[in-house]
Amino acid sequence: MTAEARAIVGRWYSIPLLLVVWGAAVASGLVQSRLLPGPGAVWDALTGETANGALVYHAGVTVSRALTGFLLAALIGIPFAAAMARSSLVGNLFEPIFFLGYPVPKIALFPVFTYIFGIGTPSKVAFTFLECLYPIVVTCYFGFSGVQTRLIWTAQNCGASRMTILRRVILPAAMPSIFSALRIALPVAIVVVVITEMIGDSIGLGYYITIWSTRFRFANVYAAIIVIGVCGLVLDQAVLLLRHRIVHWERERA
Amino acid sequence: MRINWRVVQNWIVPVVALVAWQLFGAAGMLPRYLSTPDAIVEGLWEMAATGELLAALAASLYRVTAGFVLGTGGGVLIGLAAGVVPAVRHFFDPLVSFLYSIPKIAFLPIFLLLFGLGHGSKIAIIAVSCFFPVFIASRHAVLAVNRLLIWAAQNMGAPPRTVFFRVIIPAAAPQLFTGIRIGLAHAFVVLFAAELIGSKAGLGTLISYGEEWVRFDLMFGGIVCFAALGFFADRLLLVIRQRVLKGQIIGTEEQVVR
Repeated sequence: MTAEARAIVGRWYSIPLLLVVWGAAVASGLVQSRLLPGPGAVWDALTGETANGALVYHAGVTVSRALTGFLLAALIGIPFAAAMARSSLVGNLFEPIFFLGYPVPKIALFPVFTYIFGIGTPSKVAFTFLECLYPIVVTCYFGFSGVQTRLIWTAQNCGASRMTILRRVILPAAMPSIFSALRIALPVAIVVVVITEMIGDSIGLGYYITIWSTRFRFANVYAAIIVIGVCGLVLDQAVLLLRHRIVHWERERA
Repeated sequence: MRINWRVVQNWIVPVVALVAWQLFGAAGMLPRYLSTPDAIVEGLWEMAATGELLAALAASLYRVTAGFVLGTGGGVLIGLAAGVVPAVRHFFDPLVSFLYSIPKIAFLPIFLLLFGLGHGSKIAIIAVSCFFPVFIASRHAVLAVNRLLIWAAQNMGAPPRTVFFRVIIPAAAPQLFTGIRIGLAHAFVVLFAAELIGSKAGLGTLISYGEEWVRFDLMFGGIVCFAALGFFADRLLLVIRQRVLKGQIIGTEEQVVR
């Protein structure tokens, strides 16, 4: 075995080890296989439910809701954060709402959202929007207000207009924080959609988990959990890729 | 008297919103599910008088405290170990990076069956949710400690114990608190979802009872209490942080939401 292969095994052995322990525990009857089906059963559920389209459909619902709320929050939140950071009036008006509201668990408002927007997609999207808006506005606000003043002075000295300064100086300088805001908000969007679907809906992965656990088919539940994890991973990688393309002058710190 | 315009501007939006809510609600121009602020206060008072509110508050507080302490304690201990010992790091890193992207609330149905509808299932799911952000922050915090500090201490003959407790932990503390704060936020979200989905006590349950009985003032009362609980828990953590990091954060430009 080469040193390289040994290093790879040393770094990744825990996942196969866990699978083996899991399989052995289920096969030996140490844990109830009804609550924790073996890896084989979960794999069968995963491939079967993907092939017949059920998981694909529910995952599509969940991801599209999460992305809609997330994108709305980004589209509105980023310009809003810029306005708050660059204008003291807007900043003073809305700072307490965002800064004092930040640690408040907004999930408690979800019942009110279901009354206003109904139980289906609109209430989930609206609530995801709210939950994503806070981290996006707060993180971007720090990014926009942290732009070094001498950069702006230099641009002004060179005769740049306010619009040019915003577009060519402030926006690029704030770009790294915008992307870290997006990376914080994206998993929030997925979690929030799954939670609200578990609380009440008839489509989506959260509903899928609830319905199959009441039917005691836990292989399907674990399959759905894996699908959620994969969706989150793929979306996060997409944001990272976008960041790499746009913020090409600064390498991301892992 | 000079008017402090900054303070006026700070409070004008919430105050106007609250007054408008009250006025339009009293005039009957709002849908019935939006109880007016005075009705909410009355509902809160009513629940407080019967002792319902206190019981629900106590149940929620107990669950979130127990789950948070367990999850954060585990996250800090294992995270620090993973930062210091490469073998621990290599064991936990792949597992955490896979499990981290999964919303832990998805395990709630399984936890409900394992631990029942009472306190156990909530404490367990909160602990699991808190563990991950705290673990990741602790692990990164230790690895980000300036090597020069450790070398300097070692050069002066400090044993590994001293290096760990007197150099690594203080240097990692600010990042540890960042992780713990994220964990606290997760704890409240998961607590609420768990109490709404399957529970017999707590503020989340109180809110869903308010909905069932079509007593929207009670529902909003529960919401206000839950929001206040989360808010003050976060403030308490910030105060503790201020105390512990005294001397470390003076003169640094801190970007903390407060």
